[in-house]
Amino acid sequence: MTASAGTPVDTSASTPGPAAASAPAPRPAAGRRRSPYRAALSTPRGAAGLALTCLVVLAGVLAPLLTGHDPTGQSGQGLLAPGAPGHPLGTDDLGRDLLSRVLYGIRADLGVIAVAVPLGAALGCLCALLAAVHPAADTAVQRAFDLVLAFPGLILALAVTAVLGPGRLPVILVVALAEIPVFGRQLRAGILVQRGREYVTAARVGGTSPARLLTRHVLPNAADPLVVQFAVSLTVAVFLEGAMSFLGVGVRPPEPTLGNVLGQAMPYLDRSPHLAAGPLTAVTLLVLGLSLLADALNRETRR
Amino acid sequence: MTDPHSFPPPSPYLSSSAETSAAPAAASAGPARRATLRAAGAGALFLGLGLTGCRSAVAEAERPAAAAGGTARGGTLRVAVNADFTPALLFAQSAQSYQHRLLYNTLTRYDDRLRPQPELATAWSYAKDGRSIRLTLRQGVTYHDGRPFTADDVIFAVRNLQNPVRAAQLRATAAAVTGFEKHGDHALTLRLAHPVANLFDLFEFMIIADRETVEDAVTGRKLNGTGPFTLSRWSPGTGLSLTRYDRYWKPGRPYLDAVELRVVGQADALVSALRTGQSHLSFNVPGKSLALVENAPGLTVTDYATGAGAYYLGVNTTVRPLDDRTVRQALARAVDRDRLLRQSLGGHGLASATPWPTSSPAYSEADRTHYTRDPGRARALLKSAGLGGLDLPLLHLSTPGDTSIAESIQYDLRQAGVRVTLEPTDPATAQKRLIAQSMPALWTMSHGFAQVHPATLAVSAYPFNEAKNTSHFRSPEYTRIVREAWTSTDDGTAAARARYARISRILLDEAFIIDLAVRGQVQVASTRVRGVTLNKFSYLNLDDARLV
Repeated sequence: MTASAGTPVDTSASTPGPAAASAPAPRPAAGRRRSPYRAALSTPRGAAGLALTCLVVLAGVLAPLLTGHDPTGQSGQGLLAPGAPGHPLGTDDLGRDLLSRVLYGIRADLGVIAVAVPLGAALGCLCALLAAVHPAADTAVQRAFDLVLAFPGLILALAVTAVLGPGRLPVILVVALAEIPVFGRQLRAGILVQRGREYVTAARVGGTSPARLLTRHVLPNAADPLVVQFAVSLTVAVFLEGAMSFLGVGVRPPEPTLGNVLGQAMPYLDRSPHLAAGPLTAVTLLVLGLSLLADALNRETRR
Repeated sequence: MTDPHSFPPPSPYLSSSAETSAAPAAASAGPARRATLRAAGAGALFLGLGLTGCRSAVAEAERPAAAAGGTARGGTLRVAVNADFTPALLFAQSAQSYQHRLLYNTLTRYDDRLRPQPELATAWSYAKDGRSIRLTLRQGVTYHDGRPFTADDVIFAVRNLQNPVRAAQLRATAAAVTGFEKHGDHALTLRLAHPVANLFDLFEFMIIADRETVEDAVTGRKLNGTGPFTLSRWSPGTGLSLTRYDRYWKPGRPYLDAVELRVVGQADALVSALRTGQSHLSFNVPGKSLALVENAPGLTVTDYATGAGAYYLGVNTTVRPLDDRTVRQALARAVDRDRLLRQSLGGHGLASATPWPTSSPAYSEADRTHYTRDPGRARALLKSAGLGGLDLPLLHLSTPGDTSIAESIQYDLRQAGVRVTLEPTDPATAQKRLIAQSMPALWTMSHGFAQVHPATLAVSAYPFNEAKNTSHFRSPEYTRIVREAWTSTDDGTAAARARYARISRILLDEAFIIDLAVRGQVQVASTRVRGVTLNKFSYLNLDDARLV
């Protein structure tokens, strides 16, 4: 949430004004040059990001094929060291296979962020479009965003779980809620910039209805920062889910998530540090991959 | 000046930091050099302060050791606790009662075999019919403000616990005292509504607070007692500072100059505080972390086999099909107590199907092992009750230790065909639901009160209360036998033992509370600490404690 505020996209987009010189040309010209997204993915940075992200995503998606253990199946063999027969990463305190817990944990995390971030993005964009209709709506939406942004992510999480109790749905809700103002503000800034452009005036003179003008002309041209923001938000969602599960207000146990596997490893950090190594590596790779992707996309779309 | 070695004291850390920050200084000129100098200066200052701090800590650690030859006197004992003192619960049993016996005294204290020993009461005698008890009180005892302790203070203490506002768990026992008769300032007779078997539990539990400042005591402003230490400061959220009371009634005691109770909420930080010597003593190291301190040099781990707490699986008997005791017995047979003890409780405690610790007169080895893990039998019992499978919610505390216990139970029950959905809940809400009797089908928590007279458990602990328990279990026979045990004063006789066996049998057969493991307080202390004891209600006694 806060990470996005520091991205170059945000600052450039939030300074509307006569920056028309570097503005992307309207649609016909965009068709002629290579898609900036594809260009971003072909840079070393983008390719590395994509590879890392794919690696972690595949590990999560293929979890049932990669391990034969039930991630919640306990045994009397607690705290086995890595390399134990049948348990390449060892076992946790309750004798559960750590590899399967990490892989299924990735799966659970992906399940949460794959629903929550698009949901937050869609709702945020919807709010921004609504706000663009009338100044009064703009004020209402902006103040509502202020209200949500006033809560730091974790406080918001605790408030939501205090009402709904822990579980998967509250985590999705918290992540989505945290993302709504971020996407809303991002798109609003884009709309403000685009609205002053000549092609918009031309369309308006040509008799285009305000709704069509907003969705068919302005929105596609203000979308680039949103793509970058989407990648950034995925990393924020990984952290938020991890923090909530770590604090015991995330997905219900015994279902593993990267956060709660890490949380359960904490009392053993001294004796069995390998318990924390698995989820930490997965989180690091996923976040690094997504960050590299976001960075590569940002560079290419601003070119 | 840029040479780090010119700064006292020379340090490899300082020189490396100066070198790394010197690299960008070469690239850009003036201001960076100034920044480097500033950074180096600040680094030296920090290091200097740090070393001074370390030196004083080391000196402090060495000082009493050097003086250790004879009886070590003086020193400050630092106790790490995981929760702050709650003055509003001064007269109720709360999670943090360690300071009670430091600031106050009780009338009597139990020895290891539950025989009362004199504290503020020096002698006592029951009337033949068991309906009154005459107490002789200690003379020459003064409160911290200088006021002498008299029989009126005892009368006030009992009446105070009878007050529902104080929420004392032993209120039923206090309420059985119906009259007082003073014989001068240091003797009195308590008249009882009926013979009370657990009267000495009350005397072990009831702190004798100053009657004139009691309202200040429950707000934490003034804690005026007769105990070995006086309160010098309570910093909410941080802890209590206590200093030696020079006019304490035990001659020459306490040895310590001061005691500090420091709140260390995080389990990892608490373990670190013990390992680094920042704290000398704690009873709050969670089971999972005990292995860390067991082999640590300079620390000793002691089990108090008094069973101040027992972990259990509670069953709401109003939820179908848990109203059928066969189903409850199936649950009792499904859990693997030994594995739970080993994996979730760090191996400290006793896997047990009954609530009693070995020190209790109600303890029996046969009852303890009455239910052992047998998923096949559990399935058969469920089948005999006409059930193929079950789906039940299980409330548990959301702390890591309790989550681990809940996960362990969940897995075991699944082996017997019972699917369980975990409901992690914060401790305050869980306690509220326990008292309000609004628990879901299953819950797991821990209970106290099995470490004292067996009747106390059934008349004072929320899960076991015969008249009103969280499981909504009612049985005329349970009520009758509990009342009988409570109103008989024939401890140690065959009849008393038969009654306790009957209570255990009902608890096992009805299985409305399925006990899993009995666990006393586990004390983790520095090897320098001697003479620490704990009473049955976890009041810390440091009368004879020393730092050697």
